[in-house]
Amino acid sequence: MVLVAALVVLAVLLAWPVPRALSRATSLRRAPRAALVLWQATAVAAVLAALLAAPAALPALLGRQVRVADGWPTLALAAVLSGVVAVRLLLSGDRVGRNLRAARRRHRELVDLLGVAGEGADRHLRVLEHTTPTAYCVPGVRRRVVLTQGTLERLGSEELAAVVAHERAHLGARHDLVMEFFTVVHEAMPGFLRCDAALREVHLLIEVLADRAAVRHAGAVNTGRAIVAMAGGPRPAGAMAMADSTRVAAARIGLLDAERIAGLPTPVVATMMYAGSALLVVTPVALYLAAIAGLTLV
Amino acid sequence: MPSTPRNRLGDLERAVMDELWSTTEAHPEGRTVREVHDAIGVQRGLAYTTLMTVLDRMAKKDLVNRERDGRAWRYTPASTRAELTSESLHHTLGELAGDTRRSALLHFLDESTPEEIDELKAALAELESRSAGARGGASPGASPGAGSGRA
Repeated sequence: MVLVAALVVLAVLLAWPVPRALSRATSLRRAPRAALVLWQATAVAAVLAALLAAPAALPALLGRQVRVADGWPTLALAAVLSGVVAVRLLLSGDRVGRNLRAARRRHRELVDLLGVAGEGADRHLRVLEHTTPTAYCVPGVRRRVVLTQGTLERLGSEELAAVVAHERAHLGARHDLVMEFFTVVHEAMPGFLRCDAALREVHLLIEVLADRAAVRHAGAVNTGRAIVAMAGGPRPAGAMAMADSTRVAAARIGLLDAERIAGLPTPVVATMMYAGSALLVVTPVALYLAAIAGLTLV
Repeated sequence: MPSTPRNRLGDLERAVMDELWSTTEAHPEGRTVREVHDAIGVQRGLAYTTLMTVLDRMAKKDLVNRERDGRAWRYTPASTRAELTSESLHHTLGELAGDTRRSALLHFLDESTPEEIDELKAALAELESRSAGARGGASPGASPGAGSGRA
């Protein structure tokens, strides 16, 4: 029963305080890949702990070491937790997946209809006839990188190379799947548990990762100039400004040549984050296995 | 790119829209399937019925409007190319709900307001001076005319 309670507590910790603390640890952005792994490990561990809580109670019940009458508060909590999380994850996964794919398909059809297609290595590229500088990619099997005419006019060739490398990095590394996973988990949570800051932080991390690819391609300064040039363009009326977008863009520029985290070399911190990630995922599994083993040991 | 059936369909829809857009001034009353077929179908070796099906599908997708003219339909573009482009950009910039939009399409940059650009320029200036310092005063990788002044 202690192990079941531990799984419940672990799930709650990983769902509530941990994402809030992690989203405030902005210095981790300097190792975006490791930070992203840490975020994924946190989400996976939270889901595993919640899903395994009820199954972990079964051996003790079947082995008649615990009577339902004695351990019922923990048992009920575990059963509700596992059941609710399982159902909500399935529903959210289905809904998010369908919405994303439908939105992408509709949009891809539109840019294919309107855009001028690139050739050869650029065959996934589409250029839209519009003055607003915008660049984005439509992920998926039939992926697209979309630029506007305004982007081509506003950026120098090196800056343009940075933007295209950035979008290609998103597509090549399937950052859309990372975002989809987090969106599914986010929307599976009841509203009062959701942490918007966590989702924003994960989104920023994939941007920082893609920026790194752009820096490798075109250099930090050109990537920074591209970010500023894209931010400063004319906007169509009615376009919504995201509240924190400038702070995010400024943070991205600051991270283009970042090398140290709190005085420690980045590789050291990254290694610690990878180790922490492994520990996070192993913990709920170990607790569950211990509960199973308890059947024979005790 | 390998020419899959879906690709060919996309190309065909594109060709149809291009045809309708480019003839919309000369033929504001719209074009019949026969006329569209003569313009783009014959040279591609497409059957009349193929274009009929494609135009029917496009009408259902609200890409084209149609009106009865005797026994035939007359098709007109539902919006101009500029309108549709602007619509699709608005779609990417705000219409989808926050979370879905953020994951459906990955943007180089989210929207920011012009008033806040100064903050970005300051961050860029810092980056440039750090970078110049690191490389002994040279401005690395700067393409001519790609200075921050353009932003």
